[in-house]
Amino acid sequence: MSAVAALRIGPIEPLPPRPARPIRFVRETLVLVGRSLRAIPRVPERLSDVTIQPIVFTLLFLYVFGSAIHIPGVRYQDYLLPGLLGQSLAFGVIGAGTATVTDFTEGVIDRFRSLPVTRLAVISAQVAGQVIEQVLGISIIVAIGIGLGWRPHLAVASGFELAGLMLFGLVAFTWFGVLLGMLMRSSDAVQGLGFAIVVPLSFLGGTFVPIQGMQVVPRVIGEWDPLSAIVAAVRQVTQGIHSQGSWQLTHPIAAMVGWCALLTAICVPLALHRFRANEGG
Amino acid sequence: MRRTEIAVRTEGLTKRFGELVAVDHVDFEIPTGTIASLLGPNGAGKTTMVRMLATLARPTGGSATVFGHDVVGEPDAVRAAIALTGQFAGLEPNLTAKENLILIARLRGHGRRSAARIVERLIDRVDIGEFAGTPIKSVSGGQRRRADLAATLVSEPRLLVLDEPTTGLDPRSRQVVWSTVRELVASGVTVLLTTQSREEADQLADHIVVMDHGRAVAAGTPAQLKAQIGDQRVDVVLLDQAAFVVLSSALETWFSCSADPDRRTISVPAPRGAADLMAVTEVIASAGVSAEEVALRRPTLDDTFLALTGVPAEGDKAEEQIEVPA
Repeated sequence: MSAVAALRIGPIEPLPPRPARPIRFVRETLVLVGRSLRAIPRVPERLSDVTIQPIVFTLLFLYVFGSAIHIPGVRYQDYLLPGLLGQSLAFGVIGAGTATVTDFTEGVIDRFRSLPVTRLAVISAQVAGQVIEQVLGISIIVAIGIGLGWRPHLAVASGFELAGLMLFGLVAFTWFGVLLGMLMRSSDAVQGLGFAIVVPLSFLGGTFVPIQGMQVVPRVIGEWDPLSAIVAAVRQVTQGIHSQGSWQLTHPIAAMVGWCALLTAICVPLALHRFRANEGG
Repeated sequence: MRRTEIAVRTEGLTKRFGELVAVDHVDFEIPTGTIASLLGPNGAGKTTMVRMLATLARPTGGSATVFGHDVVGEPDAVRAAIALTGQFAGLEPNLTAKENLILIARLRGHGRRSAARIVERLIDRVDIGEFAGTPIKSVSGGQRRRADLAATLVSEPRLLVLDEPTTGLDPRSRQVVWSTVRELVASGVTVLLTTQSREEADQLADHIVVMDHGRAVAAGTPAQLKAQIGDQRVDVVLLDQAAFVVLSSALETWFSCSADPDRRTISVPAPRGAADLMAVTEVIASAGVSAEEVALRRPTLDDTFLALTGVPAEGDKAEEQIEVPA
């Protein structure tokens, strides 16, 4: 120790030698993700943000509007639930955004950043923690859906395909949410903007009723709505339903991967830039 | 390791946000083991200053070193030496104080067991045991602040940076924070704190830098700053406007006094103390007016602050302030 006094709170607890940067990154990310995981059971309402809205939609469409909706060759449960699963990715943006804006405005992130911690670990953990939370939320939706009579036709291979697609989608949309959270000043603003974007896209994207039956204007929007590709992809994997219309609807899996790749390619650099820019300004 | 007597040194430190100059060429030094205070109204640039020193914001001009390490060139060395408590408690509200402290110790690089030992001792030392197992969101504001203070101590910092540590606290919690800060300094830590409260700066700081509109408008010990404002004086407060007019002209024939019609207060320099007080009361008696208050005052830091910044009271006036982006 140097001649300069430091605060001692007891016998010296020597710091282990500082590992190499990649090892520190992994270690710090894990410690920070641990913080998010511990928080989840203490705020069940945050999980219900993700789950209540799909539950309400499920009940509403299954038992209220459902009787007036007839999709040829498929039970409405089997049409609706994959749709809700797909749109839940987009609703995850709102959850990730509000959590991020809270962390940034309440000073938790500043505390982490004032420690000798890899910058990338702080933001990676933010994304990973949110993804895990959303996975939990989606699992609840799946369980409720199955309870209400949804029967996905999943073999082992298509099960992995679904999991892979959903995970990629979650990561992409969570980065978008984290970016949104860093750009906005309050969780109310994130919620307002999030709902204003996600709700119409979700209705136009064929979550509840087929796009082909819509009037011209909503149909054209719906055919190129990123959510319609996602919803169609989930439906194709879980029920073998092939949708018609635009290219992205006839090739929904490729389109979904494309949309998510695009979203990631845009949001990750912007979020990292914003995170560092925050530091500079 | 390099020995240094100076904990913090800034030279021409500047931060611009577009057109706004939040911090404008500030030079100052904090000797190791002392308490320095940045004193100024909202928007004076205090928070931006500490954020630059804590490596959370990058200076746009000038330089700053912490224990000889440049905040831009060697941020990790700076981060290893300091701990910052921001205006908002930097704690995860859904975790308990103990879990928060362990999290920080682990991020600092300690292993599980070592982190647990540090935190145990710290909880004892800062005396937060009674609520250490309660999630932060459920504890009182004062308790949260104490937990936050404990969080800054996990890393055994050599420089403790406290951004408005007592703003919004009740007087009792404020005393707890003050006494903790004094104890810390006694144990050799250097402290930099920002405050809007002249009382707080006066009570705690060895060295004060008065900031206004991003500039350091004055610096020195509390005594030096008070001395800048000059000598003691007699303040006379009148009951009504008519009495004020009569008395101010009467007093002006004898003294070089200053009159404030808004507050109906006349201020008379009183270098001879009680003798001048007697003289003033005689003039009041012969003018035949009744005063609400006549008092001999020594200069306070408030006077200095008012004279330097033109902002009279703490937070109770809706001044037009520049918001400093975080």
